[in-house]
Amino acid sequence: MTETTYAQSATGAEVHTTHIQEPRVLSMQQALNTALDEILASNTKALVFGEDVGHLGGVFRVTDGLQAKHGSSRVFDTPLAESGILGLAAGLAMAGFTPLPEVQFDGFAYPAINQIVCQIARLNYRSRGTMPMPITLRVPSFGGIRAPEHHGESLEALFAHVPGLKVVSPADPHQAYHLLRYAAASPDPVIFMEPKARYWQKAPVEAAPGDDLAGARIARHGRHLTLVAWGAMVARCLQVAELAAEDGIDVEVLDLRWLSPIDGVTLAESVGRTRRAVVVHEAPLTSGLGAEVAQLITASCFDTLRSPVERVTGFDVPYPSGDLEDEYVPNVDRILYGIQRVLEYKRG
Amino acid sequence: MAELTFPLPDLGEGLIEATVLEWLVAPGDQVERNQPLVEVETSKSAVELPSPQAGKVLRIHGEPGQSISVGQPLIVFDVPDDSAGIVGTVPKDEAPKRRVRLSAVLDED
Amino acid sequence: MEPLPAEELLGLYALMTEVRHLDRAAVAWQRQGIIPGYAPLLGQEAAQVGSGFAMDRTLDFAFPTYREMGVARALDVDMTGYMATHKASWHGGLYNPVTSRLAPIQAVVAGSVLHAVGWAHGQTLAGESGAALSYFGDGASSQGDVHEAMNFAAILRAPVVFFVQNNGWAISVPTEKQVAGGSVAARGAGYGIPGVTIDGNDIEAVVHTTRWALERARSGQGPVLIEALTYRRGPHSTADDPGRYRTLDEERESAGPDPMERLRDRILGAGIADMEALAGMEREAAAAVDQVRIKLTGLGTQPGAEMFNFVFQESTDSLNQQAEQWRKESDHD
Repeated sequence: MTETTYAQSATGAEVHTTHIQEPRVLSMQQALNTALDEILASNTKALVFGEDVGHLGGVFRVTDGLQAKHGSSRVFDTPLAESGILGLAAGLAMAGFTPLPEVQFDGFAYPAINQIVCQIARLNYRSRGTMPMPITLRVPSFGGIRAPEHHGESLEALFAHVPGLKVVSPADPHQAYHLLRYAAASPDPVIFMEPKARYWQKAPVEAAPGDDLAGARIARHGRHLTLVAWGAMVARCLQVAELAAEDGIDVEVLDLRWLSPIDGVTLAESVGRTRRAVVVHEAPLTSGLGAEVAQLITASCFDTLRSPVERVTGFDVPYPSGDLEDEYVPNVDRILYGIQRVLEYKRG
Repeated sequence: MAELTFPLPDLGEGLIEATVLEWLVAPGDQVERNQPLVEVETSKSAVELPSPQAGKVLRIHGEPGQSISVGQPLIVFDVPDDSAGIVGTVPKDEAPKRRVRLSAVLDED
Repeated sequence: MEPLPAEELLGLYALMTEVRHLDRAAVAWQRQGIIPGYAPLLGQEAAQVGSGFAMDRTLDFAFPTYREMGVARALDVDMTGYMATHKASWHGGLYNPVTSRLAPIQAVVAGSVLHAVGWAHGQTLAGESGAALSYFGDGASSQGDVHEAMNFAAILRAPVVFFVQNNGWAISVPTEKQVAGGSVAARGAGYGIPGVTIDGNDIEAVVHTTRWALERARSGQGPVLIEALTYRRGPHSTADDPGRYRTLDEERESAGPDPMERLRDRILGAGIADMEALAGMEREAAAAVDQVRIKLTGLGTQPGAEMFNFVFQESTDSLNQQAEQWRKESDHD
């Protein structure tokens, strides 16, 4: 059952909103598929394109059935050229469309960096606001599926460092559904990083977002320490929180969601209460987003923090082959060690 | 897991049924796309039907000598309903194993 | 075109037989859980074995993508080391690319095409006489890097042969929706590079044309673009389901004659060998593949410390500290 309302989008396209009305148990790939279907149905200017997204339905089936339903002019396969896909998206945005391109895997965004960084991120600025770039670039991201090279990487810090890009990553099906709809309605370019290790787990998707989608959210409330994570690491941190509870430590899990801009208010509120924080990410340590998060926490909570903010992250190495994946991605023990370091910290 | 059923395909020339001669696969077999599944006889000839997809055989329909109509179920595959993407494997959501225990005296000031 | 000598045809047949056995075995290994994934080359054996066979391994160097197992075998690469990439042991494989004359396997299509041009220009600058053989497919031909590579190669008159295996499909997208104008080889004209289209399933044509192109490149006459028309008979990868985008009837119609059967018929027709001799090659191939399986299953996992060891030639303090912390916090020595 869907409900339709009408509004006018920033670019003048006719937008009418349809969305699910009752909770549904979906995998993240199904939740994203549902969101894309609704976006295409409600925004006549929305376009979905990329490698194998049409007839095949995408390599993760996120676009399954969309071409048959919405036509091959709105959901289409492109040649195998990522720079071309993103350059096309920029031109289509100039022509008033709402492009939702897909880059098939994280590592294949590198060939498109020129168009993303030098063009899409800057055209609004270059044109003094006359050429908005309402582009949502979907990128299956992060590791955990024993895939070949360039299929397990975490590019969020790279994108977050680029002025003019917004970056978001959903942690579960409910977040995926609502954040994709939110991103597609944004007048600015959004890099939408889908945690491919979480594509298949099913969970309820509620009709209402439940909170303000523009910021972070508390995935689990706790009193003693805040774990900050995003993407697939949120589920792992929730596991860690259960383990920590066995030892009498009450851990809060903060799902950052937006990696640019980062919601400093929710961070400050959470760590202001718990007075301890550990940031967890798959990306390499050095110049990773953990550093940015730690600085934001330090700036807002310096007087009350009981310990420096800890980081538990991937290492400064290329994302390894499947056999070594579990050595690289933060596991529960490494996160518990990080928590222990914070708990043990003594001033002076 | 989900079931995917393939019916007896239209074997052409207006034939509406075929007789199973011999099954070349059995339930539980992992078959590859294009691998011969079954030998069937029509009023014209005996033919081997190739598998339209890779997968694990769940059930087969028709004993040797039985006839099946075009469009009736021929074979049922067991397919994961959360099939993986073009590369990689679906990670298992299992309870984490821990070695590390936390120890702390929390002064709640 | 002169026919190839009998002993070369037999050598090629033995190689192709082993490649087909290993290719089929790898698919089975994926189903058995021995390897997590594999990209089959079924149907491309003549294009791969023939072009690799044409190389002079004392002079030339090949730059593969991730589907060049047949090239690797023709170059006598350690096949356990090659297959290690599909076992998820190490991304580039565990063979030695320098001594094997085969660059590491890599996953970004067209990523290595410019490397071939650079290596080839290095031959010119160093006064060496090797040629580079750059492998890519119809899908990769859409990447901007391929244009840059061909333009550079022509400007530099680099000794490089671009060997395109047009296998009809880039995952689900057929060549007609990938290659504008329908021919990659035709693009050579724009760069002033000879562009040759060959039947990639005719191994004699592949060997002759690749030899000609490599010799031409080595003698300073510049790059050549070869488009070998073949067919990806299998899925893109072991997780792909071609039934979603093409029917078995379409496959049968488009695949044409099997390159293995063509060479077998050629050998038998010319009386070069009999069925019994070819059956012996099948048995040898099966035995060789069994050896690969035994070594591959016995390979074990690479030590986790290797993650840190190969990032730099000269490691950094920060990285060494991370390695130390990893040793302390992980359940490994």
